[in-house]
Amino acid sequence: MQQFEYATPTKKEQIAVLLGDNGSVLAGGTDLLALMKDDIVTPNRLVNIKQVDGLRGISYQSSTGLRIGALTTLAELSESTKDLSAYPVLTEAAREAASPQIRNLATVGGNMCQRPRDWYFRNGMGLLAMKDGKSLLREGDNRYAAILGNDGTALFVSPSTIAPVLIALGAKIRLYSAKASGSGVRELALEKFFVIPTQEGQREHDLKPDEIVSEIIVPPPTKNLKASSYEVRQRAAFDWPLAHAAVALEMDGNTVKSARVVLGHVAPVPWVSDEAAAALVGKPVNNDTAMAAANAAVANAKPLSRNKYKVTLTKAAVKRAVLNAAAGRAGGVS
Amino acid sequence: MKSDASRSLSWKEACAKIGAVPLSVTGKNPDKDEPPDLTNSGVGGVQMADVSVDVETGIVRINKMVAVQDCGLVVDVKTAESQVMGALIMGISYSLYEEKILDPVTGIVLNPNLEFYRLAGLNDIGELKVHMMTGKGYDERGVIGLAEPPVVSPGAAISNAVANAIGVRVPFLPLTPDRVLAALEEGGAHATV
Repeated sequence: MQQFEYATPTKKEQIAVLLGDNGSVLAGGTDLLALMKDDIVTPNRLVNIKQVDGLRGISYQSSTGLRIGALTTLAELSESTKDLSAYPVLTEAAREAASPQIRNLATVGGNMCQRPRDWYFRNGMGLLAMKDGKSLLREGDNRYAAILGNDGTALFVSPSTIAPVLIALGAKIRLYSAKASGSGVRELALEKFFVIPTQEGQREHDLKPDEIVSEIIVPPPTKNLKASSYEVRQRAAFDWPLAHAAVALEMDGNTVKSARVVLGHVAPVPWVSDEAAAALVGKPVNNDTAMAAANAAVANAKPLSRNKYKVTLTKAAVKRAVLNAAAGRAGGVS
Repeated sequence: MKSDASRSLSWKEACAKIGAVPLSVTGKNPDKDEPPDLTNSGVGGVQMADVSVDVETGIVRINKMVAVQDCGLVVDVKTAESQVMGALIMGISYSLYEEKILDPVTGIVLNPNLEFYRLAGLNDIGELKVHMMTGKGYDERGVIGLAEPPVVSPGAAISNAVANAIGVRVPFLPLTPDRVLAALEEGGAHATV
């Protein structure tokens, strides 16, 4: 591991200056420290933000919805508290997101910023894993790689199982930098935070070098909201999903009034499937409409040499998430 | 003794009192006409697997495994059963999960970690039942030994159970979702993944 400096600010205004050009934000550290030990990232300074005021806590108001501070741990997000009671899909997803030890340390902000698990990236070959002008993922072993959003050179999959759920719920992310003008706060729809890089060196998040994630805002649930998250995992013990679907259905009686379908672990970003949503709107939820949504979700999939099976798994995830949502089950794991 | 400090010894002092006691054992070659006391051949066993296969995802789960094992005279039933349990767990792990993945382009091992070199966790093991054969016909054959034999069978038992469940063979271990789905799709023709 490369040597680094360590700073522990107590005020968020101090963070941007401390980060400098090559600093990294340290929160739970569950991903960052492993990346540093493997020399995948080599920050010259860690800025521990755990002592900074105002970045913690979960609060709910029926008018404004849910505020999740960036330093909220996954363990806190998985507790069935009064503030979280309107979003059982979120607590279920957080409970399934990692092993208990990791959940106790890992933060929501860190979960948004975690790096892909792609094995070429983790073996030090770069996020896009290009060698002699060729993509190692396209030419090599791509069994876990993207089947959607993979027209460019980014073929890794987005690792968060919380982000697709938050996006399905219409969440916004707030970023903060003391160097930015005005209040320093930048707010964007969470799906806009995730970007597909086109060149090595670019990040998969729209986070400026001097910015931190400060909080996530989830709007109050619409009337008759039914949401569910389904992960297809090879092992029953903790495992990264092979495919993941989060759905949020606004119901009008038995009919779907509006829908959000977001896929995880299938594209370099959490993949918002307007096609799957459109297949559900105006229809009742049953096996046939759930299957139609599943087929629509993968209609544009372009599997690589070894990951055609992920198309089948994605369909299963979408179908089951839709049926579970309608049946009032907030979470499911294969 | 805790209650009497004058009768107390440190671990090191206690060990020193043992002294250097040499171990001296004399034996003789067994009579060829008598059954052997110790041998390394002739164990037998049978294993059965009860599995569930999710045909929409290709995911295999172990419900129950039963191992019946003979190893001649069982000296200690509890540790022998434990050895077979361990073999079943290792067997489930290599049948469903464990795979060293070499990059076809660069030749490096892509999964040199426990994240993608998967091992069975507690939830993946199901119910295990072990029965050691003892009594007449087994005990008088003497101590044979147990070791690896029970770790050989799970691959076959689990593969057979999967084939019985879905009607087609998955001809590679581990039985990962991609291979199970490919076998289902090809309807019995050999999967190529």
